[in-house]
Amino acid sequence: MKHISPNQVAVDAPARAPTRRALAKQQTRLKVLAAARRLFSEQGYEGATIRDIAAAAGMSTGAVFANFTDKSDLFREIMHDDMEALTAAMRDAATRGRNVEDALLKIFMAGYTFYKTRLQLARAAFSVSWDKDGGPTLRGMSSSVAFQDLFTEQLTGAVERGELSQESEVKLRSQMLFDTYLSNFPQAIFEGWSLDALQARARDQIRILLAGARRG
Amino acid sequence: MKADAGRLPGPVPPRRSQKEATRQRVVTSARELFDTHGYEGTTIREIARHAGISVGSVFTTFASKGEILSEVMQARLEPLYAEIDRVMPHLRGCTADRLRTMFAIHFEFEAKHVRLFMSHIAAAYDWTLPAAARPYGRTPRLQDAIRETLEKGQADGDVRLDIDLQEIIDLLMSAYAWTYRLVITREADAKLLITVMDRQIGLIAEGFAPKNA
Repeated sequence: MKHISPNQVAVDAPARAPTRRALAKQQTRLKVLAAARRLFSEQGYEGATIRDIAAAAGMSTGAVFANFTDKSDLFREIMHDDMEALTAAMRDAATRGRNVEDALLKIFMAGYTFYKTRLQLARAAFSVSWDKDGGPTLRGMSSSVAFQDLFTEQLTGAVERGELSQESEVKLRSQMLFDTYLSNFPQAIFEGWSLDALQARARDQIRILLAGARRG
Repeated sequence: MKADAGRLPGPVPPRRSQKEATRQRVVTSARELFDTHGYEGTTIREIARHAGISVGSVFTTFASKGEILSEVMQARLEPLYAEIDRVMPHLRGCTADRLRTMFAIHFEFEAKHVRLFMSHIAAAYDWTLPAAARPYGRTPRLQDAIRETLEKGQADGDVRLDIDLQEIIDLLMSAYAWTYRLVITREADAKLLITVMDRQIGLIAEGFAPKNA
């Protein structure tokens, strides 16, 4: 059973009112996704089973499998939705930055704020991202790539504006900024760091990582 | 902690030594199986069979597979630390180069069992693990060695004095940990990991270099 992403549906579907059946199917999907999101947040990726998710959604495991190929498919769908929403929020936050440093800090903070209420889901995502099988798929999703590109765009823009030197090693530097953004999550997840603490830390990290590009 | 408490002076009572022997056998057997089949692909039953002991004995010694993993990873640290201690006095060059050597040792060491090491990182986020398990996390000895190197750099005028060393240590540690993602995304070997880390250290070094350097 082929998995169809919402985007494909949007493109392929004929421009007429969806049938009742399509609507019911869509509702089932949403119900499963909501139940899965809750269980992943409560029990982690490993702890949540399709059976539990089906039970929480009030349907049979068969009905879940009719919509999603497996647990990892379900999880990716949730991450995809979140990452699209988050990328948009970050892009919006970045436009309010006074300079590249400030824009990056706003991007970091948009992410930490977004996940403040869903740290357990973030934890599940880390678990999957380090998995030999699940990792490459999760990291290769179009929304993951777009998310990372956001960091590159900031640096590229800063080079164009003359804020950073031409020899800024944009690729390496944006990768490191992205990694650093992620690397603060364990502090938030396991040590309960506040947003203020994360912000102070992130500000220093960004400054250090941009230092070489400023001198040029 | 458990291991320390077990190291009592004087003759070891037979019960304890037997328990210790079982522990050793489980750890050795688990290391071999984790290495070949991966952590996820190995069951406690297989570990028991491979070690030639009953599943029950494994469970009286370890609460879970996660705990065995953390024990296996803990046991690997001794030779790694010995290698760092051996190399530290011989480090030459600027601070960045010293750091590069230290991290290169780590990559070469972990790359030998990279699948296991990745499981270790993944397990840090797995909350089916009991609290007793010690998954991947802080490596205090590596951090101490980095701090020592940075402090020497400060004395030599290589590292800014007005910088929070812990922040640099954390940046280096996170660059180190996240470099392993290349194993997942590009099936990187130790050589590639070291090359990438070398460049990252260079970039971080620009951040800690004195202003007029």
